[in-house]
Amino acid sequence: MKRDNPILRVRDLKVGYEVPGDLIVPVDGVSFDLNPREVVGLVGDAGSGKSTTALALMGMARPPGKILGGKVEFDGRDLLTLPDAEIRAIRGRDIGIIVQNPRAALNPMLRVGRQIGHAYRAHNDVTAAAARMQAVEMLRFVGINDPERRVEAYAHELSGGMAQRALIAMALSSAPRLLIADEPTSGLDVTIQAQFLDEMWQTVQKTGSAMLLVSQELGVIANFCDRVLVLHKGRIVEDAPVRKFFAEPQHPYSKEVLRFYQERASGFPLQVSGKPGFLQTKQLTKHFPLRGSDKVVQAVDKVTISVAKGEAVGLVGESGSGKTTVGRCLMRLEHPTAGAVTLDGQDITELGATEMRRMRSRMQIVFQDPFDSVNPRWTVANILDEPLRVHEGGNKAARKQRAVDALKQVDLDPSMMMAKPRDLGASTLQRVNIARALICNPDFVVLDEPTSVLAPRARNSLIALLARLQKELGISYLFISHDLTTVRYLCQRVAVMYLGQIVEEGSVEQVFTAPQHPYSKALLSAHLMPDPTRRRVDNPALAALEGEIPSPIDVPKGCYLASRCPHVVDNCRANLQVLTDLGDDRAVRCERVVNKEITNENAAAHD
Amino acid sequence: MSSEIKDDLLEETAYVSPVRKADWLMRVGVFIVALVVVLAIFGPYIGPYDPTRTTIRIAFPPPGLTEIPGLLLDWISGKLDYPPHWMGTDANGYDIYSRVIAAPRTDLKIALLANILSLIVGVFFGLLAGYWRNWGTEFLIRVSDVLQSFPVFIMAMVLVALAGRSSTNIIIALALVYTPIYIRLTRAEVLSQTSRGFVEAARAMGNSELSIALRHVLPNSLTPALIQSSVTIGFAILLTAGLSFVGAGVRPPTPEWGLMISTGANQIVLGEWWPSVFPGLAISLTVFGFAVLGNALERRYEKG
Repeated sequence: MKRDNPILRVRDLKVGYEVPGDLIVPVDGVSFDLNPREVVGLVGDAGSGKSTTALALMGMARPPGKILGGKVEFDGRDLLTLPDAEIRAIRGRDIGIIVQNPRAALNPMLRVGRQIGHAYRAHNDVTAAAARMQAVEMLRFVGINDPERRVEAYAHELSGGMAQRALIAMALSSAPRLLIADEPTSGLDVTIQAQFLDEMWQTVQKTGSAMLLVSQELGVIANFCDRVLVLHKGRIVEDAPVRKFFAEPQHPYSKEVLRFYQERASGFPLQVSGKPGFLQTKQLTKHFPLRGSDKVVQAVDKVTISVAKGEAVGLVGESGSGKTTVGRCLMRLEHPTAGAVTLDGQDITELGATEMRRMRSRMQIVFQDPFDSVNPRWTVANILDEPLRVHEGGNKAARKQRAVDALKQVDLDPSMMMAKPRDLGASTLQRVNIARALICNPDFVVLDEPTSVLAPRARNSLIALLARLQKELGISYLFISHDLTTVRYLCQRVAVMYLGQIVEEGSVEQVFTAPQHPYSKALLSAHLMPDPTRRRVDNPALAALEGEIPSPIDVPKGCYLASRCPHVVDNCRANLQVLTDLGDDRAVRCERVVNKEITNENAAAHD
Repeated sequence: MSSEIKDDLLEETAYVSPVRKADWLMRVGVFIVALVVVLAIFGPYIGPYDPTRTTIRIAFPPPGLTEIPGLLLDWISGKLDYPPHWMGTDANGYDIYSRVIAAPRTDLKIALLANILSLIVGVFFGLLAGYWRNWGTEFLIRVSDVLQSFPVFIMAMVLVALAGRSSTNIIIALALVYTPIYIRLTRAEVLSQTSRGFVEAARAMGNSELSIALRHVLPNSLTPALIQSSVTIGFAILLTAGLSFVGAGVRPPTPEWGLMISTGANQIVLGEWWPSVFPGLAISLTVFGFAVLGNALERRYEKG
């Protein structure tokens, strides 16, 4: 891969900061090259110095940090020794940066077009009108519909995906030769993530620039990068072509991260033979009244799910699809507008307050944010004691023993009983949350994106833990997630939600290997598997959906997907679609699929 | 295992946070408040004179700065047959220094009790109004808004005038004035805590609403009210003094700063500035100390 003239040559880069009596060096001697038309992934755990490295490449450091030494040669000039005025000219013009959290990176007081224009005019001597033209062109280039209108928008008027694209437009407006993207897709839905990375990749190929893609997601790395740099404790410990990295990882850190995927790459979680319909929703519907009008937000629309005893069912869909609301209705944290939820034959929507409280020992929930879901003033011992106190009472010493056992069950050390949440890391605390949910031996647990704030390594071990507990305790899970990889590794069955409805349901193997519904197909084609032998960029683009998800306030009359579906015919727009059993234990909400009018052209696009 | 899961998302943000600087203003506040508290306990006993007994020296001026060393020497060597009046005496012959350091007992006691009373009542209603939102608690908030919109001083004056000049009545009047602040503060915090995940989690665990409100929401909603206490105590001292000044506070000869200023005020035209200026300085310093401490605590709380 090495070529003669790299765009960027980094040698022995060091960034550190002083704390009283000590010098901490999060980036400690990093060296690498970036060549034209090359996309290089920078991976590593949280705290390994990835973001600090990315910033230092532009000669910047977040206070109190300072660049301590080394060389960053860009076009043969060392950026670290250039005078301020010259390095400012290079930033933005020759090196573009795209950061996490696009919405926070846009100025809320300025129209998007003006911001892009400002960035352009900072490096190009043009009039405001010309800069505006350029802004429109850039927005069109990054695939924003109707750019003439969007340049007038403020940051809050854009969706997360659009804000991200506006940032890319800004970063690309001066055609930089080097792009630094720091976790550019964290928090984006898979379809937008894939679309966005496609665009970035094409830009790099078209313009002959180079890109450093900082990411912890191996799916992103495998599908878009040519070369992988592994950063560990501030040093590059591995620098390998992407295929070699996945096939023969060298460093223990790389091996450990990859082991999880390799172990599970073959086969799907085994089906369970528990009592079917243990947890069952029938036509579950939740409408939220819209303030100041008689309209409603249709968050959940006649959802019927069935979870067998001991089974893990995944509920997937993009943000706004209503999957979290389903989970909340199951737990009766929201009271459903219509429909029934039964656990072991008992309809919980009809229970009185006291009976419902008693019922809660049998069904539990684990939330997304581990820090937010525990009382910050309590110790781990208090936290674990609470469900026991509420449901079982009794002897304090016995309860304490139960809490210790619960900690051991989630592979935590009982010595942390007296720790408070702020002393713990996110994944440790999420284990405490799981221990709390399981301590009263529930039959059914809702897992509402329990891994989405965790780093991949912690995520993997949590998924492995959940799978083990499911097997050992025979619990049923409803696993709500937008991360398809975790669903594939944990769940036996999966239901795909779109705009409050379930559009497809089946075994994980069925849905992941041969999705039927056009929406499932689009969702799964955007799913990035950590497998460099079938890279997304090497294969022809699969059908992506046009446009955006309709508003849940004014839902379409016929099929909800009609406005975006590539297979749409007039009937779709008129007929309300029904979830229909296909006979092989799967159900699809699309009459054209049921009538075999759509051929399965991209079957086996995924393993 | 533990080393593996220690490397976490949150640790990355942890090390960019700046090192917390020592807050010297907070130290000043702590020092003043501590001094006032010590004086409230020992003040009446450590002064050279009985704060409630007059001396024969009427309207005796304080010594000039240059005279102090000589006076001190005379006093120690026994040349002077009475302890010096460091701040002079007033028109009735009271030693001002002894009274200035004895006054915190009155002022701080009233301010502290008034604050505790309004804190308890305010937090209770704030929790009620924040956690159980219905027309009844909404009405409560409106009433407290109306109460808060009255000028604080006039209201306390009227209350004391109606109920009589006793420490208890002053405490009640002050508490009534400050309760709405605590209701507002606590309610706002309760509203924000109620939307947090651990409240939801407690509900999912099967806790009753009362238990959620008392065990989870209340302890996490107290901080703003407790911080406000520092500021409120300072201003309650000012208000107590103000009430005494206009004759609606404690009765003479109780050593009390406002009363002393008021007694001295008549003499200012005669050039006798000292009976009012020293207690006035004491009030300013005290209010400053409490306010600074309150602000420092608030900043620290916001930083997390």
